[in-house]
Amino acid sequence: MRDRLESIAERLARASVVDRIVISLAALVTAVLIGGVLVFVSGAFASCRTGLEMGGATFCYNPMQVYYELFLGALGHPLEGGWTLTNYSLATTLQRTTLLIFSGLSVAVAFRAGLLNIGTQGQLVVGGLATAVTVVYASAVVPARIVLPLGVVVPAGVIGTVVLIPLGVLAGALAGGVYGAVPGALKAYADANEVITTIMLNIIAVGITSTLLSWQFQDPNSTNPQTAPVPEYAEIPTLPVVGFGGRMNFSLLALAFAVALMVGIAWLFARTSFGYELRTSGIQPGAAAYGGVDEKRMTVASMTLSGALGGIGGAFWVLMVHGRWLENVPSLGFDGIAVSVLAGNSPIGVGAAAFLFGIFDSGGNSIGTATDVPPELVGILTGLIILFVAMPEFFRMLGRRYVTVDSARPARTDGGDAGADDGGDADA
Amino acid sequence: MSEPGAGTTDGTGPTAAVETNTADLDVTNSDLAVHLDGITKRFPGVVANDDVDLRVERGTVHALLGENGAGKTTLMNVLYGLYQPDEGRVVVDGEERTFDSPRDAIDAGIGMIHQHFMLVDPMTVAENIALGNEPTKWFGMAVDRDRIDREIRDLCDRYGFEVDPDATVEDVSVGVQQRVEILKALFRGADVLILDEPTAVLTPQEVEGLYDVLEELTDQGKTIIFITHKLEEATHAADAITVLRDGVSVGTVDPDRTDREALAERMVGREVILEADSDPVETGDTVLSTRDVTVEDDRGVEVVSGIDLDVRAGEILGIAGVDGNGQAELIEAITGLRIPDEGTIDYAGDDITAWSRRRRIENGMAYIPEDRQERGLVMPFDLVENGVLGSQRSGRFASGGRIDWAGVRDHAEEIIETYDVRPPDATAAARSFSGGNQQKFIAGREFERDPSLVVATHPTRGVDIGSTEFIHDRLLELRREGVAVLLVSSKLDEIRSLSDRLAVMYEGEFIDVTDPDAVTEEELGLRMAGQRPDGEADRHPNPGESR
Amino acid sequence: MAVTRGPTTEVTPMRNAIHRARTSLEQRPLAAAVGGVAVFLLVLWTTPASWQTSTLRFAVPIALAAIGGIFAEKSGVINIGIEGLLIVSAFSAIVVVDWLGDGGATAGLPNLWWGMLIGVLVSVLFALLFAVVCLEFEADQIIAGLAVWLISLGLAPFISRILFDSPNTVNITRFENVTVPVLSEIPLVGYLLFDTEPQVYLMLAGAVAGWYLLSRTTFGRWVVASGENPKALDTAGVDVRKVRYAAVLLSGVFAGLGGAGFGLGTLGTFAGTGDTVINGRGFIAIATYLLANYHPIGALLGSFLFAGLNSMQDVLQAAGYAIPTELIRTIPHMTVIVVLVFVGRTRLPDAAGDHYESGDD
Repeated sequence: MRDRLESIAERLARASVVDRIVISLAALVTAVLIGGVLVFVSGAFASCRTGLEMGGATFCYNPMQVYYELFLGALGHPLEGGWTLTNYSLATTLQRTTLLIFSGLSVAVAFRAGLLNIGTQGQLVVGGLATAVTVVYASAVVPARIVLPLGVVVPAGVIGTVVLIPLGVLAGALAGGVYGAVPGALKAYADANEVITTIMLNIIAVGITSTLLSWQFQDPNSTNPQTAPVPEYAEIPTLPVVGFGGRMNFSLLALAFAVALMVGIAWLFARTSFGYELRTSGIQPGAAAYGGVDEKRMTVASMTLSGALGGIGGAFWVLMVHGRWLENVPSLGFDGIAVSVLAGNSPIGVGAAAFLFGIFDSGGNSIGTATDVPPELVGILTGLIILFVAMPEFFRMLGRRYVTVDSARPARTDGGDAGADDGGDADA
Repeated sequence: MSEPGAGTTDGTGPTAAVETNTADLDVTNSDLAVHLDGITKRFPGVVANDDVDLRVERGTVHALLGENGAGKTTLMNVLYGLYQPDEGRVVVDGEERTFDSPRDAIDAGIGMIHQHFMLVDPMTVAENIALGNEPTKWFGMAVDRDRIDREIRDLCDRYGFEVDPDATVEDVSVGVQQRVEILKALFRGADVLILDEPTAVLTPQEVEGLYDVLEELTDQGKTIIFITHKLEEATHAADAITVLRDGVSVGTVDPDRTDREALAERMVGREVILEADSDPVETGDTVLSTRDVTVEDDRGVEVVSGIDLDVRAGEILGIAGVDGNGQAELIEAITGLRIPDEGTIDYAGDDITAWSRRRRIENGMAYIPEDRQERGLVMPFDLVENGVLGSQRSGRFASGGRIDWAGVRDHAEEIIETYDVRPPDATAAARSFSGGNQQKFIAGREFERDPSLVVATHPTRGVDIGSTEFIHDRLLELRREGVAVLLVSSKLDEIRSLSDRLAVMYEGEFIDVTDPDAVTEEELGLRMAGQRPDGEADRHPNPGESR
Repeated sequence: MAVTRGPTTEVTPMRNAIHRARTSLEQRPLAAAVGGVAVFLLVLWTTPASWQTSTLRFAVPIALAAIGGIFAEKSGVINIGIEGLLIVSAFSAIVVVDWLGDGGATAGLPNLWWGMLIGVLVSVLFALLFAVVCLEFEADQIIAGLAVWLISLGLAPFISRILFDSPNTVNITRFENVTVPVLSEIPLVGYLLFDTEPQVYLMLAGAVAGWYLLSRTTFGRWVVASGENPKALDTAGVDVRKVRYAAVLLSGVFAGLGGAGFGLGTLGTFAGTGDTVINGRGFIAIATYLLANYHPIGALLGSFLFAGLNSMQDVLQAAGYAIPTELIRTIPHMTVIVVLVFVGRTRLPDAAGDHYESGDD
């Protein structure tokens, strides 16, 4: 009977922090093991010149090599000679980490409010286009240079950077926020299931943006479906000396911003009235209403915030990675679901999970170049991880079978940490 | 209600004290339909049944009496195959049995009518009665609906039931649903019927009807086991009573040769005083008043029809009635959880009909909700976080959008101390506390808001006797301090002893508003069943005018 | 998932009308059937034949997946992974046909039918995985369903790349029309219903079978009870877990028929890029059965709505309207949202989404 009261969010929040980390790691390991078996078996069906001969079949793929490429390739092969910290692969990994922090936070915020926002992908697509278009048009009106009193001349680049980047990020956040508010309002005021509407809105986002592109924003100098490039000074600047080079499409400043946002969201959850109301709504809507929370407004507000975070992800994808919006947007939003689920929807956990999936994305490229295994493997791993994180009971059963101490856990540890974890009572 | 003590308690052990006042029944050599022999059932951290013996004679009504949590339901779940006993034997019709599932128990002729009916609401009466036992035709390819209807009609004829097999269960009254449950057991060929707290949801008149049904059933050779915590019912309906306390059987007695007080002591283990004092108090201004309030439920059905009520400072207005007659919706409209479709609500001089829930809280409306686990507490949150529920934006605990957690923690610890919440651990999750302690914490949080109005719905439901007394005392104390109290309860003794004025609600309307001491329990029961007081049938009942 | 109050919104009047219509149709099945036939004939008479046949074919995955979803959800398990089941069944069916030999027959059975069989089998295996995860390990149904979708979304192009060096499979020869003599001569409906591809017959038969199973058999009643009040079923001596397993596996069978039938009869190839060629049809199926209030025949009719919008693209383009393709393609998806808004919250089975443990108090 009690189960009926439990929302999804509560189920995931029920486990203690340690419990959750153990389950996430176990899910990761299990997914990797199953993925390895899959790789090995599918090797029997591939054609190759050399491979492991066994029982009359040739197994083309070596899972160890695949995972070597996946995990170490993503860092630029640190065990091989000539490795430098600021290598291209690691830059790609961190670039993806940065973007996945945004989309992971987006999913996590909605999740903690009891809403499954599958629409981060669409919010990111729409936000990205808004960013690109805004910056391209705004850069036309930023003056070439400004002469301040005392004869100081500020070159357009600096002005552009200082004005255009915040403007672009804001545009992305606004567009993503509006696009996220739509399913929120549909849920709040028309009871439309947000899982279905957001999935539909993802597909619709592709249609709308592509239509807008061909109608107005297509780069006239290109046959690829893409917008005109933003000026170079409007791309996220890299740090001189300590950072990665400009051609690696990664900026430590962007990562720093993402981490700051992450901490900010954690603070919002733990310390503010809004965060308290959001979490209460997610765990027990009935109690939230009793406590004076306007459920409908909270639904729209949390979906808007979630969409805005997705839109910021789109903005950074445009301003840091390509310098323009391309029709073929990578599945950052879907990966955000995996990031958030793996992180147990904890904002700080999102950072770690985003790094893992950053490795997956970047390592996927290494797999593609160094082996014959299809890079779609990464997608399968992602699905498997979500699957295993969704079934904590599986690992608890395993745990109970092999670790007898665990079975006699007193009832209270089960939920007693929910508050502590959220920082609700952590004053230190 | 009950006479205190009967003067036998001399401070020695509770069982020792009652030994002399009751006649233990000897059923060792009779024809036993059911014999539970030395049943022990343990759950993590609890022994729910400890070496319990139960002998039930064929063709009798046997009451299983005990307080909430005494282990009555656990014992019956063992007999019904829902639990397997850790120790002991289950003997049915002289044959030892092992029931791995309810299916086995059903096959052995045992039927159970649970406290919360096990009915599928959107299905019809006939579909529910046959569920799990559907006769089929065409080699199992289709349910034989004609045969089901025929068998139900036969059963109804034999036992004198009036039930429409084609009605949808959610559309029939609670009393009829109970008949459906009984029919369901009979349809499966049950000879032994277990009824778990069958009167909890019935009006006194429906209870009488149930007694008649039980008599009819035993006349035809069926055996009834009747779980209850109400003394009157046990003594009234049963041929034998077995008392359980804290998972232990404290004897089987003959109701005709046992006095009630002794039985109560045997059940509770100490002297019982149920009377709460409620001297008349000076009342002040009207704090809450509703005019012509009409509310629809989630399905769009009008469940509250034009209610007028007034509550003054320093008085308790009680609303009695069988559950589901619109009390919940009326209270939700007053507290701001539901928008009334018509009518106005005034509170402390303001028209608050359109106010948000938060604004009502901020203006001193405290509310103990009916469902503490769904509304009153956020179960995975600890008590610190629960302590600020409803005040998360008030100036007392928050400024500039930030919550002052240190202040909230002090507040929660204060509540825990003042209201004796156990264990006194503010960082434990709400769900780890017992129902009584959860309720004490909610009461504490709401009472300490410095309210001018307290709305309390079923404040002691599922709460142990000690906590009940405590909550009653606090409610009366608040009333003395000049707080207006609106109390909803389906416990007649509670609502009669606490209320200054008593309204009876039936099908969305007030049947009567009266001085609780001026009506007998029987009269109250009739009103709860919808019968207006004689000669007053035309008067529009209004608690605001009745003084 | 949440406790919500009955909302009164601007769309309420419209919504009430839909609900009333739906209830009255359910209460008067004969009138509904006669009226349905009349409307149906009118539509057939006034619309182009090419649009009709194409609609019928595009309805196959939606209708069958929706009927499968009805069984799972009615039993209390929300199977949002149905999109994944469509993907794996369509993909594996085509792979099997290619592997056994396009156009040939193996062991007396045409390879297309082997593809159908294996496609359904693979779908059932995935449904079994989902059932085990939800019923044994108490996984959250929505998240597990998403995982099934994401795994399928990765697995199909992964295998395709190994086998065909491309995320898209090769082309196979599709099912041919099966013509029922005499019946196919009936004006208006004959060519449509009795001179068509096997998967369309399967869809029509599946809808009737689904309706019969759910409303007339013991199993159907247990499915409903398991979703509404599992405890009532449990105390009546029926194993809730077994009922739910059966219902989820059945959803795998129906979705498998839909996916494999769509792949072998309509597509002939499987494109694995992006959202794959299934492109959200499983999710549209969910909206379809919500619209139909869990009625299998209603789901069949609802699928015609979405499939009809889908095939409208071609009609509009053929008519030379200058609406951008990309936008037209999203019309069914926009319609899903509109439908959800006007239908509002369908009353889900009471225990849908909850794990049930026998003896749990």
